[in-house]
Amino acid sequence: MKLKIKKDDIIDGLQKVQAVVSSRTTLPILSNVLFKAEKNMLWLSATDLEVSVRTGVEAQVDKPGATTLHSRRVFSICREISGPELELDTNDKDVTTIKTGSSFFKVVGISEDDFPPLPKFEGGKNYSIDQGVFKQMLEKTCYAASNDETRYILNGALLSFKDDKLTVVATDGRRLALVEQDVEFSKDSEAELILPSKTINELIRTLGDDGNLLIKSTDKQAAFEFGNMLVVSKLIEGTYPNFKQVIPAKSDERIAIERESLLYAVRRAALMTTDQSRSVKLTFGKNRLEIITETPDVGEARETVPIKYNGKEISVAFNPEFLMDPLRALESDEIFMEITDELSPGVIKANVPFLYVLMPMRLS
Amino acid sequence: MRVIIHVDMDAFYASIEQRDNPTLKGKPVIIGSPPDRRGVVSAASYEARVFGVHSAMPSRTAGKLCPTGIFLPVRMQRYMEISEQLHLIFEQFTPVFEPISLDEAFLDVTGIMHKWKDERVLACALKTAIFDELRLTSSVGVAANKFLAKLASDLDKPDGLCEVPKGDEEIRRFLAPLPVRTIWGVGKVTGKRLLNHRISTIGDIQSRSLPELQRTLGSRTSGIHLWNLAFGIDDRPVAPDCEEKSISREHTFPEDCGSMEIIRQLLLELSEQVGRRLRKSGRYAGCVSIKLRYSDFRTHTRQESMRIPTDCDRDLLLHALGLLEEQKIKQPVRLIGFGVNRLVDSPFHENDQQELFEDTSRPAAQRERNERLDRAVDALREQYGRHAIRRGNWTLSKSKDGKHPP
Repeated sequence: MKLKIKKDDIIDGLQKVQAVVSSRTTLPILSNVLFKAEKNMLWLSATDLEVSVRTGVEAQVDKPGATTLHSRRVFSICREISGPELELDTNDKDVTTIKTGSSFFKVVGISEDDFPPLPKFEGGKNYSIDQGVFKQMLEKTCYAASNDETRYILNGALLSFKDDKLTVVATDGRRLALVEQDVEFSKDSEAELILPSKTINELIRTLGDDGNLLIKSTDKQAAFEFGNMLVVSKLIEGTYPNFKQVIPAKSDERIAIERESLLYAVRRAALMTTDQSRSVKLTFGKNRLEIITETPDVGEARETVPIKYNGKEISVAFNPEFLMDPLRALESDEIFMEITDELSPGVIKANVPFLYVLMPMRLS
Repeated sequence: MRVIIHVDMDAFYASIEQRDNPTLKGKPVIIGSPPDRRGVVSAASYEARVFGVHSAMPSRTAGKLCPTGIFLPVRMQRYMEISEQLHLIFEQFTPVFEPISLDEAFLDVTGIMHKWKDERVLACALKTAIFDELRLTSSVGVAANKFLAKLASDLDKPDGLCEVPKGDEEIRRFLAPLPVRTIWGVGKVTGKRLLNHRISTIGDIQSRSLPELQRTLGSRTSGIHLWNLAFGIDDRPVAPDCEEKSISREHTFPEDCGSMEIIRQLLLELSEQVGRRLRKSGRYAGCVSIKLRYSDFRTHTRQESMRIPTDCDRDLLLHALGLLEEQKIKQPVRLIGFGVNRLVDSPFHENDQQELFEDTSRPAAQRERNERLDRAVDALREQYGRHAIRRGNWTLSKSKDGKHPP
């Protein structure tokens, strides 16, 4: 393999793929990125056997071929090297020289043959959606997914293609975020997939703000094709919990609140929480919302947010992080909180197709 | 009126050594530092005590007093193991027992008295159970409170059984001739101070007025305390548990066991014992573990965390059986153990964050039923002992071999 490539292009390409490379792997080949040069493209691939990513960048290919190189090392070299263009030349022993006018590197690689091939996709269902729309759906929900490995089924988000809609849901069992979007697909393409969080993060990192995204899925894996990118991911196998049953049909009170005022007030009140006592109390009174943290031996914080409210006084406690997450993810000026009492789930809505259900903490 | 038993094992460490190595039987065994080194005696067998050797004595002195003494190092791990077995025996009689050291404990047997003809029969059965299972002798005091029970166990040692008579006057007369130093807490200093006021027996205390005694001791509260004890008054309850970090139970099979059925049954019983202890201490387990020791002494443990901490027998058992399933057993088992750790005060994490989803495998109503069942079973066992009620699939009949009380 021999090629010339712009420094910016190779860095851009490596940045897109190297996030999936695991830093602790028992298989050395998984620390490497596959370089494959053909026609006027350099294809870069990386995998951790769960998620595989491939991207293409333009290059002037003098001799097609392939090799694999240590991901972090080659990325550092490309970043540090000066000069707008660099030259890669791989010999038949998989030793690659990287050159610019003033720098010369010799990097020992591993043969392409040892690199796990990209999973093949045959059959399956196809969906088409705008990249930017899909990216936003993931951004508005993914933070609610669980990191608890004992709840592996929740270590990702549900993509439900049903009734001409795509619904994305993520939950960790204490709060749940949901977005919906009309999408066209045939009736027999209805399906539910649980996409691992790592894949979601990779997609959020690489998806553009417009352009088409093609999603292909089978029972066990899904592929995402957009631009020069291909992301293939294993799916989490199992049954996602019945999220519909935890969405309250109706709440007693619906209160409009200015999103940023609430976010900053909660953030300040949270300054007085500790790891042992992670709760803020919201009291909805006449035209004012009080946010109070009282932590024994630490102190207290009181914040007031003006609201339009005339209903019964309700106090309810939430984990401030769980409360702030959707406020950060949303862009609307105003959100709506739906509250019933101190034990019932709170609901956050906005004037976009978004829903967030949050279980309270017991008031002490 | 309460019935309290104090059990004091006779020369515990030394007796264990003599039992584990029969060639030491009848010989003066001294546990502690060797006589040619600095250090003290931790325990001495009765044969060694004849020479005047006692615990806390410098080993050099012991060596001089008892030149034929066999000095052995302290095997604390072993004594703790035996102590644990001792507690299991206590638990077969009553869950209300309070260990005060490895070899001493108080048992409150008030709740199980109805099953026994009288205190003496019960105390004998306890001593017999200890001897049958551990081959160790114990001295037992039976009385209406902790103070009298402890005092009594000391009066008839070794292998003794002493009952303190009932009734205020009888107790007063029982105590009167005893030296004041027999009272727990009266040591050299207080003893001397009392002696200076011509108080040498408990009877002498009884004959003084309370203010007089308080003046003698220079303290109002210790005066009241000593005065009460002199008349055999002591309300301190037997307090079974201190806060624990983990709870575990194990069982060593009399003969190595290859039957999965029996191993499962034992695991069931162990998990129930642990569950009961857990509920009693009002705590919830975040992690369960099993322990298996094979005939060749290789020991395996496996553990598993629980998403929501539990104190429910059913949960503990299901997890225990799951772990047993994972641990493929290919050879006879010598010992099986079950334990819980990561104990928390509440089944909810992160200060009472409520959960969105009910555990679908176990709806709320079912869970509540299980909780009620556990509490009911606990209450029965609290009153009538461990074998009062058992699960329907319990096939091993332990009571038939006579080791356990009926």
